[in-house]
Amino acid sequence: MSGGVILNWLASTPDFAVPYALAALGLIICERAGVLSLGAEGLMLVGALAGIGAQLALGQPAVSLVLAMLAASLVSVLFAVMVIWLRVNQVIAGLALVFFCQGLTALVGSMADWTNHATEGIGAMGLWPLSLLPGVGKLFMQNAMVWLTLPIFGAVAWFFTRTSTGLRLRAVGENPQAADAAGIRVTAWRFAAVLAGSALVGLAGAYISVVSTKLWIAGMTGGRGWIAVGLVIFARWSPWKALVGALLFGCIEALIPQLAAAGVQLPQYFVMMTPYAVTLGVMVWVALSRRGADEEPGALGQPYVREERR
Amino acid sequence: MADASLAADMAHPSQAKPAAPAVARTAQPLAGRRYALEIRQHMAWRWQALILAAALAVGFAISAAILVAAGVPADELANEFVVQTFLDGQNFRAVLFQAAPMILVGLAGSMAFRARFWNLGLEGQMIWGAIGATAVSMWQIGPENLRLPLMFVAAVGCGLLWVLGPAWLKLKLGVNEIISTLMLNYMAANFLLHLVYGSWKDPKDNFPYSPQFRAFERLPELGAGVGSAILLAGIVALLAWWLVGVSRAGLYLRFVDANPRVAHANGVPVRRTIYGAVLLSGAMAGLAGFAVAAGQEGRLTQAFYQGYGFSGILIAFLARNNPLAATVVALLVAALFVTGRSLQVFYQVPFSMVQLIQAIIVVCVASSDFFIRHRLRRVGGEAVA
Repeated sequence: MSGGVILNWLASTPDFAVPYALAALGLIICERAGVLSLGAEGLMLVGALAGIGAQLALGQPAVSLVLAMLAASLVSVLFAVMVIWLRVNQVIAGLALVFFCQGLTALVGSMADWTNHATEGIGAMGLWPLSLLPGVGKLFMQNAMVWLTLPIFGAVAWFFTRTSTGLRLRAVGENPQAADAAGIRVTAWRFAAVLAGSALVGLAGAYISVVSTKLWIAGMTGGRGWIAVGLVIFARWSPWKALVGALLFGCIEALIPQLAAAGVQLPQYFVMMTPYAVTLGVMVWVALSRRGADEEPGALGQPYVREERR
Repeated sequence: MADASLAADMAHPSQAKPAAPAVARTAQPLAGRRYALEIRQHMAWRWQALILAAALAVGFAISAAILVAAGVPADELANEFVVQTFLDGQNFRAVLFQAAPMILVGLAGSMAFRARFWNLGLEGQMIWGAIGATAVSMWQIGPENLRLPLMFVAAVGCGLLWVLGPAWLKLKLGVNEIISTLMLNYMAANFLLHLVYGSWKDPKDNFPYSPQFRAFERLPELGAGVGSAILLAGIVALLAWWLVGVSRAGLYLRFVDANPRVAHANGVPVRRTIYGAVLLSGAMAGLAGFAVAAGQEGRLTQAFYQGYGFSGILIAFLARNNPLAATVVALLVAALFVTGRSLQVFYQVPFSMVQLIQAIIVVCVASSDFFIRHRLRRVGGEAVA
């Protein structure tokens, strides 16, 4: 591979990495509060559809992204009510949410006739002065959302490690009984975490439709939500590790079109398997190395039933 | 006093809502109208049935409202769902036709869930079952009169092998089976595409499916247009019911489901039981793939992209992992599929509506469990609900 190809590859990586990164970050917020959110794939679809709908109606990418976040949050209220108030099994509720969103987005997308209409996305934005460098300057020409992702990660990481609010959220996911005894409102915190996390997952979906692909097709997230769920386990619920993992997946996905452009003949469908195979491989590697197995939020996946408190 | 309680409710609207757990807090008993949530130990069967019926009614009502909003005339709904689907002979045969793989995949789901193994890879195992059966047909393995049994065995074996990996990873290394089985779904789906767009493509018309099976490679008809796939599904359902309800293995499974640690202490072979249930789950899903390939399509196609796997999970959940209940629920889901296709043809309602309705019903039933497991009790006043 020549230097130019490698440079193109690396320059296109962030575009592929951002959806994984944002979705994983949203899931981390949810799961740190003890709610296992398997619905990411569905919420990404909701974000993607809402984003493209707003984009087609208003043509303002920033507004579309915000509306997509709101839409995903709104749909996640259903999930939150199910798992937090009604104490439905979180796996079943998550799966039902995915199913619900797949059906709903395909229905609304076709009824509103939003399918396959190209829109204008966000243009590239150079990071001055790095983008003016000869050759490698290309790496620093990315759209605004790529640059925005970094402060979002910084903010969430800071929130978890440096603020008492973040500590409360983690306490709720670690040991809700103790948190409750300490006067933290478990139900309210979990609700807030699900809504905030889902907004980020929705943003990840909207990034795919509004910024990256610039159109809507039913089921367009194509399993990225599930990969993000795996990514969170790989990252041991830590934001920065999730960013590294997202970049890794972005690299792999970005490589496929670059190889095709360079004329390398690869069996297409085997190439399309790679993100899933890598996810599986990463899960096995995490299990084998047994690193930080105790970092999993203690009450992940368990409803908090106050009446059973002893 | 009445004014005071009204004012209190106005000041704390959230506390006036009986369903909110926030009220479980036994704060100042200002007025006589406060509710506490408690765990209910037991509820009479008929009340449970009533709650379930109410949940289903709510689910159907929401679904109907969405269908009407999507452009289906309200008065046509009952006609489409009940009259056309169950009372019309041809459509009822279509339901039975559609039900065979649904029953099998629902049984597959309930088998794994009984061992507390979230086998979300049913679709991948189905695809591999179909690939296995098709391979036997493609390579013409065995004599003609043994071909169908060999396809059966190949489908079961392939489905079983595709779940063996995640089962081993879970029990040996503790790898989360939810993610591993899901990833294997996507890999199986891509492999299917690789085959039907590649070396297995039908040379006759170049469409992305395998060459047609010969007559002796297809599940025969029983007569009156009913395929033997449904009979196969019924037999498997009865065997599954015997296995989990009567046999020793079923008893072990119940122990493991209740508490693996206690089960182990009582001498139940926990690992072997889990392996058995999970591999059986994969085998049944493979069989569902066989039913699609040899019973419905007559070749390897992309028929699996309708969410069979998810349907299987939802069927198992709605049936509470009971094999006989799963059969009934699968029949209803198959009816939903058939109705969905006719709505698609007549009213241009997208087929994804079927997914949406399934999800709505699961949400309603899952949520209704709350009312079976909890009760609201008035505290502070003398009346007890």
